[in-house]
Amino acid sequence: MFQNMVYSNAFLQTEAVDETTLPWLEDAQKLGEQPAADWVKALRHTGAEAFAHTGFPTPAWEGWQYTHLRPLTGTGFHYAVEAPAFDVNVLPPPLLKDSARVVLINGKYRPELSDAPAGVTVMSLMDASVQIAGIEEHLVTVGDLGKTPFKALNAAYTHDGVVVTVKDGTDVTQLLEVLFYNIGSADHPPALHPRCLYWLGKNSGLTVMERHAGSGVYFSNIYAGIALEPASRLKFYKFEEESAQACHFSYTALQQQKCSSFEGFSYAVGGKLSRQEYQNLLIDSGISSMLAGAYLLKDQQCHDFTVLTDHFEPDGKSVQHFKGVVDDQARSVFQGKIHVRRAAQKTDGNQLNHALLLSEKAEASFKPELEIYADDVKCSHGAASGQLDDEALFYLQSRGIPQQQAKSLLIESFLNTALAEVSFPPVRAVYEERIRAWLRH
Amino acid sequence: MTMLKIENLHATVGGREVLKGINLTVKAGEVHAVMGPNGSGKSTLSYVLAGRPGYEVTKGKVTFMGEDLQALAPEDRAAAGMFLAFQYPVEIPGVSTTAFLKTALNAVRKKRGEKELSPVDFLKLQKEKIAQLDMDTEMLKRGVNVGFSGGEKKRNEALQMAMLQPKLAILDETDSGLDIDALKVVAEGVNALRSKDRAFLVITHYQRLLNHIKPDVVHVLADGKIQKTGGPELALELEEKGYAEFSGDAALRAGAKSK
Ligand SMILES: Nc1ncnc2c1ncn2[C@@H]1O[C@H](COP(=O)(O)OP(=O)(O)OP(=O)(O)O)[C@@H](O)[C@H]1O
Ligand SMILES: [Mg+2]
Repeated sequence: MFQNMVYSNAFLQTEAVDETTLPWLEDAQKLGEQPAADWVKALRHTGAEAFAHTGFPTPAWEGWQYTHLRPLTGTGFHYAVEAPAFDVNVLPPPLLKDSARVVLINGKYRPELSDAPAGVTVMSLMDASVQIAGIEEHLVTVGDLGKTPFKALNAAYTHDGVVVTVKDGTDVTQLLEVLFYNIGSADHPPALHPRCLYWLGKNSGLTVMERHAGSGVYFSNIYAGIALEPASRLKFYKFEEESAQACHFSYTALQQQKCSSFEGFSYAVGGKLSRQEYQNLLIDSGISSMLAGAYLLKDQQCHDFTVLTDHFEPDGKSVQHFKGVVDDQARSVFQGKIHVRRAAQKTDGNQLNHALLLSEKAEASFKPELEIYADDVKCSHGAASGQLDDEALFYLQSRGIPQQQAKSLLIESFLNTALAEVSFPPVRAVYEERIRAWLRH
Repeated sequence: MTMLKIENLHATVGGREVLKGINLTVKAGEVHAVMGPNGSGKSTLSYVLAGRPGYEVTKGKVTFMGEDLQALAPEDRAAAGMFLAFQYPVEIPGVSTTAFLKTALNAVRKKRGEKELSPVDFLKLQKEKIAQLDMDTEMLKRGVNVGFSGGEKKRNEALQMAMLQPKLAILDETDSGLDIDALKVVAEGVNALRSKDRAFLVITHYQRLLNHIKPDVVHVLADGKIQKTGGPELALELEEKGYAEFSGDAALRAGAKSK
């Protein structure tokens, strides 16, 4: 069974509402007038109430020490019930040919622009909320909303988003690209709160490339549930390439059942302020859960990866492997925790984060944690930042390789170890190409 | 034709003056050996010539193929035909030796105004050179110098030299770390490159290498200066007597005695 958590918070009734939070919630009322399933209404209500009390986290909060929200809180973002008019020609072409593509514009699923691979069902969140039995279980596993304000804010706006399901025993061969394309505006910057679900039935398999891209100023605040039933297999490749003026916050709640496997990679280059948070719950035995990523930051970008891997039962294997390159005055944050519960014997958990600082003003912060209650486990963690190796650089140059090219070669080789976690060669090639393009900036 | 002309070269590293007025002229077709005690500045000289950052020329001038070297970035020196076989080759994890060789060769060819090699032609060339140096092709897949033994690293330097076909090759103790057979193979590789258009600056501690690579001129570098220049017989003499004659200590002791 999936963990089903209670989504009401006793303290909400007692604490005072924070006035500054109200502008962020005022548009949520527009949604209240629309018909929705009871659980959707309840979720909106609980989310709004939680956010009204806490507001955005401050540096005093656990887990929010390093990521400061001024670029977000200093801008007035508003939710729009209707999607903006747009020209389909602005959409980037698919990353790989022969893939099927699902398109969301400003968080709203656009069936007329989408097609699904054989064996995959795709529908809007609102349709799924009334048509798919048991879906609520995967979309309301919210934990303590009082501690996750972005998730609470997203819950308050439960309306947009997409649900992708694969039936038991179906091994989907065609690749699925899910494109979140966001159209921003400096005058009326939109706030987008899509809520999504990838639900893989028993012994099914799927490969997803999830892309986030757009133009102008916007605030993309995504909640994604990933439910992997026993022996299912998901490869989940994310491309966070939001516009340079955007804020990107995503909360991915991964729940893995017995002997399921997850292979995730996240490539983060976009947005002026972004945070990708993962809560990976390995709630049964024999699970493999690998999450790797690469972040490439410049100018005044700030990006935060916050990852929890929680082993409940024995024989789990997990990886958190991140590599980053930080240039100019950019800042990176990595907070990774591997939690091994008492019953989770024979857990093999590895965490690795390395950042390469390319300028004197670039900064990398780390918070690596292991919390282990089982006695027979193999866990490791390591975090470090460093500079390009001058000796290696000179060696390459002395062989005729121009300095800029030599630097790129060293950076690529540095990122390669994380990229090697991507087992699907065509996607790895796309990532390599992206990295090379970034290095030419 | 004069290939390399070093005039009154002074250089500092880490705030310390290490080269204290070097004069040296190498003509095309010549092989010069540089010998000298540990810490005398041999590697420093080689790094200054290759343009390593942190090695600052404070006085004097170096001309290579008629061009002022100081104006050139390391990669441009390489393109102009300068090659340094490092005393301590650098490990570069994550960059395969083949990819490295190909990038380097094509970069140099591009700068020299030549066409890049097709992948097939590159592999052919690489295979030929590998065979000449009696190297294991498996090494090419590994990261540059990563996990290579001391001798393998030196062979890899020789391979790079053979691929890049420089005009002036500076070999900084390429012989140290090589076993007797490897020494022969590498020396043969060098001799194969010897021509009237090329020159070599061979830094070594041992006469042994010079049996295989016959020098035209031998220099003694001590205390940041060329203290003596002679023919191949000078190397034999050094082998016998050591450097006492040139070291600061000996000079001091001699001075004390005479008092
Ligand atoms: N970065 C540095 N900072 C300070 N001193 C340095 C630095 N690099 C080299 N030196 C010094 O410069 C002197 C010359 O060093 P160099 O490596 O050129 O000697 P060498 O003649 O090549 O010696 P060996 O025969 O041992 O290879 C040494 O005394 C060394 O300690
Ligand atoms: Mg030396």
